[in-house]
Amino acid sequence: MPEYEKEIVKVSEGKRKNSFMNNDTPFCITGIEPLDQKLGGGIPQGNSVLVVGSSGSGKTTFCMQYLTNGAKQGERGVFFTITEPLFKLTKNMENFKFYDKKLIEDGMVNIIDLRIISDRLGLNVEKYSVEDASALLEVLKDIADELQVKRLVIDSITALCYRLESDEMIRDFIFKLGSSLASMGCTTLLTSEIPPVMVGDLKYSKYGIEEFIADGIIYLSDIDRKGDLIRTMQVVKMRGTSHSRSKVAMNISSDRGIEIITLLKSRG
Amino acid sequence: MENTLIQGLKERIANAVMVNPSVGIILPGNNYKDLTQAIFQHMNETQNKTYIYVAIAKPFHIVKKEMDGIVDSSAFFFIDCVSRAAGIHMTDPQCFFLDSPSHLEQLILEIVNIIKDQDKKSDSVVILDAISSLVLYNDELLVTEFFTHLINNMNLYHAHTISLCLEEEMTDQMNKMLYLINDKIIKVKESFI
Repeated sequence: MPEYEKEIVKVSEGKRKNSFMNNDTPFCITGIEPLDQKLGGGIPQGNSVLVVGSSGSGKTTFCMQYLTNGAKQGERGVFFTITEPLFKLTKNMENFKFYDKKLIEDGMVNIIDLRIISDRLGLNVEKYSVEDASALLEVLKDIADELQVKRLVIDSITALCYRLESDEMIRDFIFKLGSSLASMGCTTLLTSEIPPVMVGDLKYSKYGIEEFIADGIIYLSDIDRKGDLIRTMQVVKMRGTSHSRSKVAMNISSDRGIEIITLLKSRG
Repeated sequence: MENTLIQGLKERIANAVMVNPSVGIILPGNNYKDLTQAIFQHMNETQNKTYIYVAIAKPFHIVKKEMDGIVDSSAFFFIDCVSRAAGIHMTDPQCFFLDSPSHLEQLILEIVNIIKDQDKKSDSVVILDAISSLVLYNDELLVTEFFTHLINNMNLYHAHTISLCLEEEMTDQMNKMLYLINDKIIKVKESFI
C-alpha cells in the first residue's frame, strides 16, 4: 500500500489519540478526510464548533455530512433545525450520495424541528422569553440524553438567538447553552449565519458572542476569481489540536458531498 | 496513407511518455490538428491505460467528434472546462462539465477523484488540451501554481501527464513553467514538416 494511503487509513481508523493535548481525548472524525488530517485526526470529542458562513456557503450540508458519517461509524446524532422545515431539509439532502434514508429510519440520525418542539411546549415560536429559552435548553438536553447521541447539530444558533428579545437574553442564553453542551459530552456543531463580508470586516457571528462559547470555528466563505465564486473553508480555531489555519478550496458535489483541496493563492 | 508528420509526432510522444511522467508539448497553432491526431493515435495504441482528457481549448463534443474514426473513446474520461462558460449546457455521462475554467482547484479534485476510482493496476494518463488556453481565463501565475499542484498530485498517484501548449499563447512565465515542471519537453517546429 502506498505511503499516502497508509496515512489516510491511519486517520480514518479514528484510533489516533490526541497528541497535541497529550491526553486520551479521542477525535470525532468528520469523515471529510483532508479536514480530519488538517485537524490531526478530527474534532476533539466533546468540542462545540461554530460553523460560520453566509447563505449558500454549505453549512447545513457540512453538518449533515458530519452526522451521517458519524452514524455510519455507529455514532448516533441529532440535527436540530430551526431554519428549514423537515421535508425541505430531507429533500435537499436526498440529492447527496452520502445521505442514507435508512440511517434516519434506524434512528442513527435524528432530525428535529425546534419550531414543532416549541409549539408542543406551548412556547411562542416567534419570540422566546427567558423562561421559554430555558425550557427549550432543557428539552434539547433531554433529547440528547435520551437518544444517547454522540454528535449534535443546531442549525442555526443565529435563528435561535433571533427569537430572543434582548442582547442580555442572547448573552445569557448562549452561555447557558455553552455549559449545557459541555456537560452533554457530545461533539456539537452550531451553525452561524453571517452576511457576505467585505475584506477586513470579518465577523464570525451576528451577535458577536457565539464564538466565545465555541471550542472551534470553521469558517466557510467564497473568494471572487474574475467573477467566479470559489468556495473556501478555514479552520480559524480548534481547541485541543495543532491545526493549519490556511484557507482551502471547498467543493460540494452530489456524489461526494464536501471535499477540500489546497487553495491556489497566486494573483497576477 | 498515414501522414508522415503525424507518424513522427506519435513516435516522439510514445517514446517520451514511456520514460517521463510529465511531458509538455510546445507547438505552433498550424500543427495543432496534426498533434491532436497523433495523440489520438497514441491513445488508440495504448488502450490499456486510463485516459483523462481535459478539454480546455475546445469543448468536449468537438474533441469527441475529432476522435471518431481514430480511436474508440468510449472508455475515456473527459473533463470539459469551457462549454459551461461559453453557455453550452449539455450533459454526457462520460464527461464532467466544469462551470468555469477558473475553477482550477475543482479541476484538480475531479482529476484526482477519477484516478482514485480506477483499478490501480492500470496507469492513468491526463491529457491537458491545452494548458496554455487556461491563461485566457486565469492569471498566468495562478496557472503555474495550478500546474505545480497538479503535477505533484499526479506524482503521488503515479499518473502521467501530457500537456499541450500552443506557441502563440505562450508567455515567458508559461515557458519557464513548462520547462521547470515537466520532465520532458517536446518542441514541434514548423520546419519539422
